[in-house]
Amino acid sequence: MTTTDPPLLVCDSVAKSFGSLTAVRQLSFTAGRGEILGVGGPNGAGKTTLFEVMSGLNPATSGRVLLEGRDITHASPEAICHAGIARTFQLNACFDSLTVRENVEVGAIFGRSGRMLPNLRPSPEMQQATDDALDLVGLSARQGLVAGSLPVLDRKLLMVAGAMATRPKLLLMDEPVGGLTHAETDLMMATVRRIAATGVTIILIEHVMRFLVALSDRVMILHHGERIYEGSAAGLVQDRRVIDVYLGEGASARLAALLREGRHEPA
Amino acid sequence: MDVVLQILVSGLTIGAMYAASTIGLALVYGALNMLNMAQGALLAFGGYVCMYVMDSLGLPAPLGLLAALVTGGVLGLAIYALVTRPMLGSANFETQIFIATIGVGSVLQSAVLHLFGPQPKAQPLQIPGGLTLGGVTLPWQNVLIMGVTALMLAGVAWLLGRTRAGLAIRATAQNRVAAQLMGIRIGRVYAQVLMLSGALAAVSGVMVSSLSGLLPTMGADPMLKAFVICVVAGLGNVPGAALAALVLGVLEAVIQYLFGVQYAFAILLALVIAVLIWRPYGLFGTRQVVRL
Repeated sequence: MTTTDPPLLVCDSVAKSFGSLTAVRQLSFTAGRGEILGVGGPNGAGKTTLFEVMSGLNPATSGRVLLEGRDITHASPEAICHAGIARTFQLNACFDSLTVRENVEVGAIFGRSGRMLPNLRPSPEMQQATDDALDLVGLSARQGLVAGSLPVLDRKLLMVAGAMATRPKLLLMDEPVGGLTHAETDLMMATVRRIAATGVTIILIEHVMRFLVALSDRVMILHHGERIYEGSAAGLVQDRRVIDVYLGEGASARLAALLREGRHEPA
Repeated sequence: MDVVLQILVSGLTIGAMYAASTIGLALVYGALNMLNMAQGALLAFGGYVCMYVMDSLGLPAPLGLLAALVTGGVLGLAIYALVTRPMLGSANFETQIFIATIGVGSVLQSAVLHLFGPQPKAQPLQIPGGLTLGGVTLPWQNVLIMGVTALMLAGVAWLLGRTRAGLAIRATAQNRVAAQLMGIRIGRVYAQVLMLSGALAAVSGVMVSSLSGLLPTMGADPMLKAFVICVVAGLGNVPGAALAALVLGVLEAVIQYLFGVQYAFAILLALVIAVLIWRPYGLFGTRQVVRL
């Protein structure tokens, strides 16, 4: 992260309420170019709602979301995608009856701006973006398979590939390793590092703390829609409030041990 | 043997007509979760426009067919802009749009009545004569119907399977939210689908009326059959609907030969009930709603 650049994403006093229920309250934060920002917190803390707000599915009730200085608070999901934000889901959101390649092609073809040209076939540039995204997650060999037939890990990787094919500036990942095994989590971790190496800014929501602390440059913990912590991953285990409302003593001790063992796990 | 072939010819013709009127319906349901009750009126509109262009303007048949195609497309687009789009965001979209399109159907049917009158008319798009092979006669009209339907099915298959617009339609049908987040302008997809289905309905209306004649209410029966076929195939399943249409067409011809015309529809409906009991998600549907 270079500190001289203005931040890629600015959330300014963002609030989202559903009737009388406030899911996100007056939340302000930024994400710099190339940064990995980890978002944690107990269930119902407003993490996924925050993603819904940023991706335009459920626009903020008040406050502003700026991408590269441009106000996208009330833009449509399509327009936000074209502006450079991509997103993966907690649950499987692949196009099940389409092949792996077609899934990624959707992102490559429609993810970039709104060309009005009614081209019938994907352009070479789009084919290239599709190939690159498939290579990035290691699904090239399975591109002919129907997405619905893939196991969980591959579906999650496919969602990442589809998102990356839109050539985003900011990638929002909602629990990318939820439900994965230890080895699969490591594989996803390596994938996220490869994505970060291409310069894409990543905001990830994750309950698997091993994953969150290993990858995040900065961690933000939400509770009842408010930020209760923002700072380094190492600082998490010393923060009384985070331990009390989210981690608990046991998990906190284990996480502290993990952090002592070495900041950097082998990628 | 000749009888069997004759039944097959007539069954495939019926099936082709069913397929033509069904695919538009299946496409719209698959992509939008919208049961288009105006489909029947679109059929009638198409048939009348073709008749008007050929009889009143004296233009050749291909232009009549083209005029029907364009009119159907424009009407489909109008349904999107005036009815579907304002309702898209509403809760219970499926129920609301179902009722709204019944209204659209009434308006269109009244328009036909107003413009062309209540008397039955003949569809001028006719090819006389036929091909006699052995003891079997294959009327050119049937060949035309099967040919046009085959073209329409191939066109839709090509569009869905081989083009970017088709990819957008399939992705949207599968997961609207994910499609949006990957940059697909779903409003445009919906407009395209309704336009396409309107055009298909109008052309199939020309085909249907070339056998049954023109009446403002002529669309009701094919639309009912199209619903039956959609349900049998699994709602929104386009290839399944086409196949089911052909099978049911042949079945109807067989029933008509063996038991008489009056039993055909009753047995068809009995079949639907059976399908709904044993496979409520349709013959080609799957338990989770996988569409298109």
